[in-house]
Amino acid sequence: MVTGAHPASLLPAADREAIAAHLDRFELSGALVSAMASWLHDPIGGNSEASAVAHDLADRGVVACWTAVPATAGELDSLSGLVERALDDGVAAFRIHPASHGYSPGLLDELYEALEANRLPLCVDAAELSWPELGAIATRHPELPIVLSTLGYRKLRELWAALDGHPNVHVDLVDFAAHQGAEWLAENDLADRLLFATGLGVRDPGESIVRLAWSGLDDPTVRRVGFGNASRLFRLGARP
Amino acid sequence: MIGRRPQYRSVDVHAHLGPYSLFFIPTPDAATMVAVMDATGTDVTVLAANRAIQQDAHLGNSQSLAAVDAYPDRIAAYAVVNPWQDPERELTRLADDARFVGIKVHPSLHRYPVTGTRYAAVWKFAAETGCPVLSHSEHRSPYDSPAMFRTVAERYPGTSVILGHAGITPPGVDEAIEVASRYESLLLEVCGSHMTGPLIRSMVDQIGSDRVLFGSDFPFIDQRMSLGRVVCAPLTEGQRQDVLSGNARKLFRWRPLPGGRGVDQ
Repeated sequence: MVTGAHPASLLPAADREAIAAHLDRFELSGALVSAMASWLHDPIGGNSEASAVAHDLADRGVVACWTAVPATAGELDSLSGLVERALDDGVAAFRIHPASHGYSPGLLDELYEALEANRLPLCVDAAELSWPELGAIATRHPELPIVLSTLGYRKLRELWAALDGHPNVHVDLVDFAAHQGAEWLAENDLADRLLFATGLGVRDPGESIVRLAWSGLDDPTVRRVGFGNASRLFRLGARP
Repeated sequence: MIGRRPQYRSVDVHAHLGPYSLFFIPTPDAATMVAVMDATGTDVTVLAANRAIQQDAHLGNSQSLAAVDAYPDRIAAYAVVNPWQDPERELTRLADDARFVGIKVHPSLHRYPVTGTRYAAVWKFAAETGCPVLSHSEHRSPYDSPAMFRTVAERYPGTSVILGHAGITPPGVDEAIEVASRYESLLLEVCGSHMTGPLIRSMVDQIGSDRVLFGSDFPFIDQRMSLGRVVCAPLTEGQRQDVLSGNARKLFRWRPLPGGRGVDQ
């Protein structure tokens, strides 16, 4: 989920109350929340908004996802320092927006190393980096869980290569729109790499809710995709 | 809470069939589509084969008919008319074959404006018979932007035209609403990667729930993506039923869709 208003969407702003109502409506047991401000306004400063929601809704299983950019004088002193602060804050994952924020993902090696060392997943929208760039990160950091989001419906050929070549690459259900895509992953023994996510704030949550609920997946697989995989990846049970 | 069993019956008025060159589609066959429909509560899907829109209208239309033959109670077919591939031949075939329930045109894919003379036979046929026409519509397309359907509606005021995707993008949806609000013969269909429940609500508020139709574009896109937006949209239950199935049952009167479920259940 992404908290905050989107500047070019009819979707309502996903503030704390909206997120709480979303959890209630669909009986969700938790959520990973990043900040719209970190994506579309102030990458590092916006992280406090994600943390504020996470702290307010901690008893609902909500955890924060922070955003990173390359260490740049005046903006960010140290990527490893940012990860340390995130760990102190209880952050469960990081998100990057190389295309939106105008840098090469290769500038974040220090981040990838720190995340890998601390088993913090890296989340990234498919449009934010190229497939070779994704492959390079996944190869250099094989213990770094990477979660691709907003894949759309035209990318299964590339996704297959990424999943097949890199056991640490995962994909979530936000705009995972390929016909029978979830079933296709399951049939190819890749259901453990698929995570439920609604994209509240940037996507219509009805897409993912119905996508999983009325899927052709069996009940145990629905539970894995809906909860088990995320619980393992984000170590939800290990958090206070 | 959404349980694992669908609580609504639906009619999907915008679907395809078969592979597509630009990207891989897992199991795009009719049997899988019907299995998806079983899981989503979809009584009937009206489809146009991908081969018909992408490459060969005549061969593709034959594939659509084969799907109807395999699942006559669940699948109905649009006859794709490509303005470059002998449209009169496909219209004659449509007239003679009751398995076709409507016409599908794709001006953007066929690179020919929906207002062009090569489509005249389509509109003439539809006006004379009551056969509904589903057209792709896409904001800012030189071939089928929503505003271009004003010309079609004025020339053929009695012809029911479904604007597939309702312009696709949010600004396109606004344009589609604007033109549909002026011409009652135009209907809006809700599938598209940028569609949301609030946008569907905008359509319903501005042109009425009786001219908004559920379609999914599957198996391009998973049917549940579009269906989920409608199921979770901020609509009254009556409006939701109109969009999901009631309007489709009323629209396809020239050659009724198979089955009688959907409106009253």
